[in-house]
Amino acid sequence: MASSSDVTSSSDNTPENPESGSTRRGRVRARRVAVMAVPATLVAGTLAVLTAEGALGVQFAISGMPFTVTATELNGTGFEQFGGLDHMAPGSPNEGDTGGQVLVVTSAIKNATLTKLCQSVDLGGTNLLITAGAGKDKVTATDLTTDSTELSGDAAFGNIEIGNDASTLTKAGVKGPIGVFSQQADTVFIKDLRQTNYATTAGVFKLPGLKLRFSSSGC
Amino acid sequence: MSERQGFRPAFRRWRADRPFWGGALLALGGAWILLTMKASLKVVLQVGMQGLAGYLLPALMVVLGLLVLFNPAQRLFYSITGVLVSLGTWLTSNLGGFFVGLLLGVVGSCLAFGWLPDQEPRRSRRERRKEAATAP
Repeated sequence: MASSSDVTSSSDNTPENPESGSTRRGRVRARRVAVMAVPATLVAGTLAVLTAEGALGVQFAISGMPFTVTATELNGTGFEQFGGLDHMAPGSPNEGDTGGQVLVVTSAIKNATLTKLCQSVDLGGTNLLITAGAGKDKVTATDLTTDSTELSGDAAFGNIEIGNDASTLTKAGVKGPIGVFSQQADTVFIKDLRQTNYATTAGVFKLPGLKLRFSSSGC
Repeated sequence: MSERQGFRPAFRRWRADRPFWGGALLALGGAWILLTMKASLKVVLQVGMQGLAGYLLPALMVVLGLLVLFNPAQRLFYSITGVLVSLGTWLTSNLGGFFVGLLLGVVGSCLAFGWLPDQEPRRSRRERRKEAATAP
């Protein structure tokens, strides 16, 4: 093959016969692209596989667009909940008739385990669907903080304290604004969880059995 | 009007001596990831260093993409760093902006890496093969 001569001529950056005039310009050489593209694809594939096996945790931080999270079971330790106001960036297209502010319930869970997690983001017309944890391995999340406009499910709390001031919360390490009603609990168990979230952050999310796809219907 | 006519060939010449699409796609990928994050800084600071990395990596992608455009001489370093940072966003920033930003970043970095200045105009493969056969 003529590949060896081609590679050497392109790697030392000097053209072979420099007399060809004004049409010379920079070009993308396919072989040089392949030198980087092949390992990069392998690494990307490895990352995706490791994440889908639950060996690798990923971080999430989404806000400014409403999205739905459902799970058949949520088991958590260190739970806090308080009310708050979420602000959008000025002129955000999601603003609608809200005046750029949404009333939200902030829930923070120190360590959470979710079964059959399904998360959908409405991208206008089509939905991005993320499902995980359907097999025997569960989704785990640490420092999970969500701002939800809607939250439903059958909940059971252990050692709950209701009516604290939001600024004195201790269980999940997040403090709310002073003078706001709040509650906290040592453990939380929610069955058939359904949340419409406005913002979520998770320190580390482990998503075994991850599937990412576009769909016409949400969760 | 005459200014416009002068601008387009000038832009084409400017584009010809730098990996334009490589840098543009890399910067675009970073910008897209930042757009999907958009979390308030207060929440990020609560999460701590890990949350900050989620912003740092896509911001770095934007900077590297612009550097590829405006300082093409260093494109090897920028594109290698760019591809590593793009792959890193899978872990730190919403699965690389739901995969779209990661893809743009990796493709952009590869294009910047594969770009060479001052090349021959494209020739057909048959022509090249014929030349190689007759040369030595």
